[in-house]
Amino acid sequence: MTRSVWKGPFIDGYLLKKADVVKASGRHEVIKTWSRRSTIIPQFVGLTFGVYNGHKFIPVLVSENMVGHKFGEFAPTRTFSAHTAADAKAAVAKK
Amino acid sequence: MARIAGVNIPTNKLVNIGLTYIYGIGRKKADEICKKVGIPASRRVSELTDDETLKIRELIDSAYHVEGDLRREVTMNVKRLMDLGCYRGLRHRKGLPSRGQRTHTNARTRKGKRIAIAGKKMAPKG
Repeated sequence: MTRSVWKGPFIDGYLLKKADVVKASGRHEVIKTWSRRSTIIPQFVGLTFGVYNGHKFIPVLVSENMVGHKFGEFAPTRTFSAHTAADAKAAVAKK
Repeated sequence: MARIAGVNIPTNKLVNIGLTYIYGIGRKKADEICKKVGIPASRRVSELTDDETLKIRELIDSAYHVEGDLRREVTMNVKRLMDLGCYRGLRHRKGLPSRGQRTHTNARTRKGKRIAIAGKKMAPKG
């Protein structure tokens, strides 16, 4: 279900403040955040966020296309190590 | 033979059914088109006059996203997600469902036919 438009996008308030501070300072430093649930808004374009994935902060450089997505979408929380060729061979050898 | 919106040639069917052979037009839009052009529901594609076919063609060209254009739009949207590096894009890259469905079992539409894993024993029954 899509979020009601009248509510506007959801962003954690402190994130807006942090972004303003970094923008004002002019330095491009990584804004660390745990707020994976916040929507990316146009003001964030060009800033770099460190999005926490439960383990470390994944640097996300916000581009124009990302507006409207959530931060969490860019920092995967699960690691999937794919089945390697060695695995497949081992499986065959076992047989 | 009626050619509407490129390659589609459905004949012998009711007009609103025949139109659904066009990619991007389902029952709802087909009915909508028939209504706008003023074709009774009982008319078949072979019974369409040239004038009516022309009208349908013009209407589809002007007001609907269809066939190649629509396909391109869809692939562009998917490509955007993939280039963005967001979760949905990653799922598209891997050919897995992107809306949080389970993949332990099922998800065969995205994963394709089952591939046997060599050396894997079947679970013992009972």
